[in-house]
Amino acid sequence: MSVITVVRRAVLWVPDWPVVAAMTEAGLGADVPAAVLHGRGLIAVSAAARSAGVRRGSTRRLAQRACPELAILPHDEGRDSRLFEAVAAAAEQAVSGVEISRPGLMIIPADGAARFHGSEEALAEALVTAVAEHAGIECAVGAADGLLAAVLAARSSEVVPAGASREYLAPAPVDSLALAAMERAQRQEVERLASVLTRLGIVTLGDLAALPFADVLARFGPVGVWAHRLASGEDLAPPVLRRTEEDIAVEHVFEDPAERIEQLVHVAKEAAAALDRALLDAGMRCGRVRITARTEKGQELERVWRTDVGTRAGAFARHMTDRVRWQLEGWLSGTAGGPGAAHRPGVGPAGGVPEPSPLVSLGLVAEDVVPLGAEQAYLWGGVSGADSRAHRALERVQGLLGLEGVLAVAEQGGRSPRDRAHLAPWGQEAPPARAIAHPWPGRIPDPPPATVPPAARPALVLDAGGAPVTISRRLAVSASPTWVRIEADPSDERAQAANRHPSSGHVGRVEGPVWDRPRPVESWAGPWPVSERWWSEDASRSAYLQVALRDGEDTVTAVLLAYGGGEWRLEAVYD
Amino acid sequence: METAEARIARAREALAGVQRRVGTTRDRWEAPTLPLTPLLDQVLPQGLRRGQVIAVAGSTSLMLALAAAASEAGSWTAAVGMPALGVVAAARRGLDLARLALVPHPGAQAAATAGACVDGMDVVLLGPRLALSEADRRRLASRARERGTVILAEGAWTGAHTTLTAVGSRWHGLGAGDGRLRGRELTVRIEERRGGTARLVTLPIEGAALGVAAAGVRAPARRGASAPAASLRALGGAA
Repeated sequence: MSVITVVRRAVLWVPDWPVVAAMTEAGLGADVPAAVLHGRGLIAVSAAARSAGVRRGSTRRLAQRACPELAILPHDEGRDSRLFEAVAAAAEQAVSGVEISRPGLMIIPADGAARFHGSEEALAEALVTAVAEHAGIECAVGAADGLLAAVLAARSSEVVPAGASREYLAPAPVDSLALAAMERAQRQEVERLASVLTRLGIVTLGDLAALPFADVLARFGPVGVWAHRLASGEDLAPPVLRRTEEDIAVEHVFEDPAERIEQLVHVAKEAAAALDRALLDAGMRCGRVRITARTEKGQELERVWRTDVGTRAGAFARHMTDRVRWQLEGWLSGTAGGPGAAHRPGVGPAGGVPEPSPLVSLGLVAEDVVPLGAEQAYLWGGVSGADSRAHRALERVQGLLGLEGVLAVAEQGGRSPRDRAHLAPWGQEAPPARAIAHPWPGRIPDPPPATVPPAARPALVLDAGGAPVTISRRLAVSASPTWVRIEADPSDERAQAANRHPSSGHVGRVEGPVWDRPRPVESWAGPWPVSERWWSEDASRSAYLQVALRDGEDTVTAVLLAYGGGEWRLEAVYD
Repeated sequence: METAEARIARAREALAGVQRRVGTTRDRWEAPTLPLTPLLDQVLPQGLRRGQVIAVAGSTSLMLALAAAASEAGSWTAAVGMPALGVVAAARRGLDLARLALVPHPGAQAAATAGACVDGMDVVLLGPRLALSEADRRRLASRARERGTVILAEGAWTGAHTTLTAVGSRWHGLGAGDGRLRGRELTVRIEERRGGTARLVTLPIEGAALGVAAAGVRAPARRGASAPAASLRALGGAA
């Protein structure tokens, strides 16, 4: 077993960070009782609320009974980590590098920093002062050998002498292991372990550390090893310091608010060239570019574009010019977004497409910057020649057809085949809206259909007597489907002519869909009900049938039909 | 009067000329190929040769199956003029969606778009309703031969190296209101430009042979496929 040398570290801890962050954003004073609600319980409570009797984990109703004037704020992990950046930046005024373990907690390797400031007490004082001055937030600092001891020391603002961590940890309850778990999944696992240990009579960390290492591994597996090493005052990994390179940004303020595309073409070119120059001067290349703009009404628009052009000298400016121009055109015409319009997380999908409005400023920020020449070929060879050739081709097509002309596809969660495809303009970062991993009960079973028309086509399903087949609310099929007619293609002359012929049951041309010839049903399965989003406006309720249609002597075509609102639709063809 | 030697020499020369013109068996061995799923070995015994045009009629699944193994091995794929392509089906066949680009509606720019894709991608799927003239198609084919791109065209294509037509298709797994689609056998007619008679091949294109999830899905799919097959045969007998 390899032993990692124990690193002396200082931990900076902001008590109740989620609620502090929420209060900062909501503009509440520190004396207002507040709490952050997530799901059914409170996950963080401010000091004022705690003194009023509100406890972490209690429900909203209990909390409001204890303290009627309690401000209940929503949970938002993005906000927590975003605002903690300011605290990290403030701490970096006092030390040269920090590791953010989770929002509210950061780790600083103490050796060098303490030498610089004179002593660990002086370092702690400098950190607390820097954070209070620059971020306006109260925090606690502690130092010890090993991760868990340092976290516990920070909670009581202590400095544990070198080599004394094991003794310092010994009387602490095993529950405190959870404080060193940095992710939610890990935290749950550790909490389960702590509860088992408590029931086994192992109550303190000293008891756990006294157990033989091999037995702990055999009984509890990796999480047991993790806990045993932490309880013994050891470390798992040295701290990983945060990258302190700054993103490279270019800002352009319009003299007059721009509302015509012609004004923007030039600006897009200049801004892209300026960013290219800034990147070259810094000797960097970037993986993503964030385009931001502010409208006259004060609305902030932003969109992230992936860019892989670092290897191609000179192409970057031209490439970015097109991207910026398309994005600005989209914003100006109010059609930004298109498929998969994802704005900033705070606005949410309901924030939707912004109102067209003149732009007052434009900013380009290069993100994921790495030094020039740091990129590599793939591990198994075959970079990149083919990839950059393909990217160039697609960019050329995008230049011909516009931004939405080339789509990148991804699979996403959903029930019907159409919902399971996620399309976004090529090069735009738009994560799928729905997770595949969710269960999606009622999903149409595999195999997936190879043809999914972008819009469902009307269809007729008839029984043996030629009467329409219906499906009741209780999923009873009125009769066995025998014939299926699908709406004919408008260019299908034969079907149009047959529709005009008197034998079709009417005289002359009639409005409404023209049906293709009836095709006999060989076999069918279903109905499978899918009732989606009943709580919202785009609620849909339909029943799906898989139908095999006999088209010839030995040709059978399988189709997926949906029934909803009294009408049949062709959803997909298994061809 | 010619001597026998002179006549033989002339015949050899003519034969060599023909070999130069139409390509010889040795060339066939040397032509680079893209990977192809074992499922389609019978359909294209010579493999998916770069620079070929393959016309596929009647089955989108067959087109996806042709492109799948190459995409999995790192090739780039573009689908031009196929707005109805089933994305999930493509992923299940084994296409890498990160290297698949859709150009659903090229409109009047079809020739330029297809040309750009042939230049840059390894496999290009062309939809049936593209505004391509015969001359455009010839130009695309020669560009593909130059660049080593495979064109899979839906519908007819004059001068295609291979024309695959789905002439028969059978599904297993559906009953009268019960079951679900499980397996499919596709009968494909294969016509080569180099002559020879058309061949018919029947493939188990869906079900047990599906590439990706095969390990997990295989057992139930095969069980399902064998049981209803019997009932289908019985039905056919009654009719």
